[in-house]
Amino acid sequence: MSCDAYKPLLMGYLDRELPEAEVALVEAHLAGCSDCASEIESFRRLKEVTQDMRVVTPDDRYWDQYWSNVYNRLERRVGWILISIGTILLGSYGLYELLMEALYDLGLPRTVRVGIAALVLGFCTLLVSVVRERIFLSKSDKYERIKR
Amino acid sequence: MTQLDDEGAAIERCKSGDREAFGAIVQKYMKPAYYVALGYVGTPDDALDISQDAFVNAFRHIKRFDSSKKFFPWFYSILKNLCMNHLTRVRRRREDSIDAMAEEEGEVRIPLKTASPEQDAARRELERKIGTALLQLRPKEREIIILQHFQDYSYQEIADLLGIPIGTVMSRLYSARRALRKELERLGVRY
Repeated sequence: MSCDAYKPLLMGYLDRELPEAEVALVEAHLAGCSDCASEIESFRRLKEVTQDMRVVTPDDRYWDQYWSNVYNRLERRVGWILISIGTILLGSYGLYELLMEALYDLGLPRTVRVGIAALVLGFCTLLVSVVRERIFLSKSDKYERIKR
Repeated sequence: MTQLDDEGAAIERCKSGDREAFGAIVQKYMKPAYYVALGYVGTPDDALDISQDAFVNAFRHIKRFDSSKKFFPWFYSILKNLCMNHLTRVRRRREDSIDAMAEEEGEVRIPLKTASPEQDAARRELERKIGTALLQLRPKEREIIILQHFQDYSYQEIADLLGIPIGTVMSRLYSARRALRKELERLGVRY
């Protein structure tokens, strides 16, 4: 085995994670390779210098509240969905009424009636497009392709 | 019943909308989720925020998850996606801001703390430099250093969390430690 093949094993040796057979293999290699012996010594010193350091973690109260924060976000999402549905329904009804009034009010200039019709149709087109995209996304798992 | 069976049963209940069952999953994985997010984004507040959002997204998509498999490797994909989106947004905001300068001066770093009660100035300076060096590593390197080097997860635990073979854990750890050593040399740390 070349030195490159031993490099990852040096980590397992340093962290006492290797099975006995591999420990013997690594020790035999280290006895005959000054580069690897020097490298593992350097990593050993790095480990000693940092051995009692830990990443500062949030206080216990953050962990105690962690699940309730997630729960609240889930609930809020439901709230926003209901608000969105309500807005769309009321907005659609309002636009429908506006469209009907515009189309049947002969007193309004033609430009205004065409403008209102375009506005309403444009809104409906956007809504259909967004809903179709959401349905498509909900049917495919976008996280399958993420590389670990 | 194995741990995987327990988790599988909890996931099946989650699929029926049982939020309390999901609560048990969250309690089990919230800390590793935080450490992984911290590895990617580098700031504790953002790591807390993003890891919680990841659990919300996981619950939304839980019906698509195969409960015969382990939860965390699947969840990791969601978490990583959110972390990468966050990093992209931060990078765009940072292009014209002074945050880049602050980071170069070591003001922004991964916070570290020594367990020993004796906290002299030299030790605090070392913690500061190591925290700064950590932020210069690539996210994959930073993540594995945090999990193994600073939080003592075993190779098997890391392999299970990230859904990678133990050989890959060792390779990544080797690259990460080399990168950390190089950054520390650049910052003038001698050991």
